[in-house]
Amino acid sequence: MRAESSQLRRLPVHWVLLAPALLFVAAMALFPLGYSLLLSFREWKLARRSSPGDFVGFSNYINLLTDDPEFFEALRVTGVFITADVLLTLVVALGAALLLQKTGRLNTLARTMLILPFVMSPALIGISFRFFLNAEYGVVHHLIGLLIPAMKDTVWLADATLSMAAIVASDVWHWAPYMTLVILGGLASIPTETQEAARIDGASGFQVFRDITWPQLLPVVAVVAVLKTVFALKAFDTIYTLTNGGPGNSTKTLAYFVYEQGFSYYDMGYAAAAAYLLTAALLVMAGFYLRLAFAKNR
Amino acid sequence: MKRRNILQVTAAGVGAGIAPWAFSQGSSAMLKPGKPYAGTEVNLLTVVAPQFKAHEAKLAEFEALTGIKVKYQYVPFGSTREKLTAELVGASAQYDVLSAMDVWGPSLYNLFEPLNGMLAEKKIDMQARYPNAHLRAARDGNGNGKNVLGFPIRGHVQLMFYRKDIFNQLGLKPPATWNDMVEAGKLIQSKTNLSGVAMYYGKTGGQNLMIWFNYLWGMGADLLDAKGQPAFNSPAGIAATQAYMDVLIKHKAAPAAAASFNETDAVNSVAQGKSAMVPVWWWRYASLVDPKTSTLKPEQVGFAPLPSMPGKDNTTYTNTWFYGINKNSKKKAAAMEFLTWLSDPEIERSVLLDKSMNEVVAMQTKNLLDGDVNARYNGMHVYGAQALKGAKGTPLFAQWPQVSDVLEAAISELASGQKQVKPALDEAAAKVRRIMRA
Repeated sequence: MRAESSQLRRLPVHWVLLAPALLFVAAMALFPLGYSLLLSFREWKLARRSSPGDFVGFSNYINLLTDDPEFFEALRVTGVFITADVLLTLVVALGAALLLQKTGRLNTLARTMLILPFVMSPALIGISFRFFLNAEYGVVHHLIGLLIPAMKDTVWLADATLSMAAIVASDVWHWAPYMTLVILGGLASIPTETQEAARIDGASGFQVFRDITWPQLLPVVAVVAVLKTVFALKAFDTIYTLTNGGPGNSTKTLAYFVYEQGFSYYDMGYAAAAAYLLTAALLVMAGFYLRLAFAKNR
Repeated sequence: MKRRNILQVTAAGVGAGIAPWAFSQGSSAMLKPGKPYAGTEVNLLTVVAPQFKAHEAKLAEFEALTGIKVKYQYVPFGSTREKLTAELVGASAQYDVLSAMDVWGPSLYNLFEPLNGMLAEKKIDMQARYPNAHLRAARDGNGNGKNVLGFPIRGHVQLMFYRKDIFNQLGLKPPATWNDMVEAGKLIQSKTNLSGVAMYYGKTGGQNLMIWFNYLWGMGADLLDAKGQPAFNSPAGIAATQAYMDVLIKHKAAPAAAASFNETDAVNSVAQGKSAMVPVWWWRYASLVDPKTSTLKPEQVGFAPLPSMPGKDNTTYTNTWFYGINKNSKKKAAAMEFLTWLSDPEIERSVLLDKSMNEVVAMQTKNLLDGDVNARYNGMHVYGAQALKGAKGTPLFAQWPQVSDVLEAAISELASGQKQVKPALDEAAAKVRRIMRA
């Protein structure tokens, strides 16, 4: 009886049960990842051949890093976008979470409504913002003109800085509500006793936030910052529909650059190499995220 | 002489300069007898257009003739190139007939089956049917090769659309030259609350190059020289680009918003009563007179050939879509039967004359000069034929998508006032040289 049970334990039943899921993951994630990694070491211009060409070693990567000023320009634009986007999202999300943490019907309704911007398609958000900012009939353009008469004749999407501001604003509008919900979760997990004790000891609202709430909320904010950085690195749809990377190339990010190489220029090997450099950046950020997440669990 | 007769005579005059008339017989007669492919299902991947919906509505006729079923799968313009790329990368046989735009052709030649043998077998004379500017878009070898890869199915020439009521009120004539356009625009701005001309300098799929090309050609400049190297930054190219930008920057005859406009924004500007003129593809006529999309009535919208440089012929940038057969298709013969039927000039003509829609697209020379078609659209197609006669067509070379991106970024930077014309074009030329070398 004991021998039979031991034999059963040795059978890889768990592997059999896991096999369909593992196969699915392998087909849908690992194979494309592996294939595109191989592609990044090959020459494959679709205009010249319909199947991948010769192995070219690291030359796609070398060209990107030594002979492509547009790649570095896209890196610079990405850096500007991420910095502004992540900082603004954090400030808005944190502020909104602090305002909405109290219970009450209105706050519950507001929290429920927060999910709405998040469920909207980024492409649709981009198109909508393009309409909002249209210099002839855009409602946001008109309102800004009323509030700041000096900006009445500003053509938002024809100005490099304002176009970047428009993209950041649309992305913050999309993501800040979701991040607010995450921070609200973090706020809810902070024991109220410490805050109450501080208040009894005479601490002001700001002191309670600075010395009690913020230190305990920091791991959640850090996770939000890392997640938002990852999402900002991948941002494409909104930029494509709102500015097309313009004016000039002032809003062409790395994700947009990769898209262009693959789907506009049909240079699959080069696009794969650029995509892997983007993936490397994402992996670094994912590493930070995992460390923060595990640190929190510990 | 009645107006219709005048149009017919004009059409005949234009036609005489285009090609020897060898108008083909109806394509239905070219279908294989005995329904050899009955029961076959042909899958078609096509961009969205009202014209194609009208074709789809006629499929019962084709099915009755051949027993072949055709299934249309529509894809929005913005996703079409990605979809075709996926088909090419995957060597898929999912679709038998594919639609592609001219400028993508050189990158997608490997996706299409040459039709020469099948065309010869059916005795279809493509030269007689289509103007060269459209036909070259469906040829390999950058438009000069020996293989025909598809049937031109949808194509456009540019016209100048203008507010007829405003022009009448101010005693203006449609502008014959680009300078006239600027002067008319300035006068309209001074006498009405409308902007002069809705240009589009923003960055969207190379749209800000489509009028620029007319300035370039009109000044005797060109995109590339005979060696395939950049020529757009020649003195003539710089003068042409300066004149093109000056409409917005110096003369302010365009709305300030034109710096970020794409083609749709510009058409909307006229349709919403904000601007008085827009130089644009003829297919935009439908949205300018459609009450769902425009505040204008048909009698308020006039059109004329695109202006030219003083003393020079009219030019037009062209746009051509073609339907070709997927090289990986398992049903090529049935797909060819479908294309044979669909390319019957009578099918195109019936869509043009369908009064339930304002679909102006005519590809076939015969229909461009058709009296009834021109009577319905007040001679628009005669203008089209005239413009197509000397049209250079779109740039066809594999690196065009990259070159186009460089140039449209340069134009967009110029419009935003970030750069001056010469340094911007010189910088773009350096980038283009690098692209052409790679």
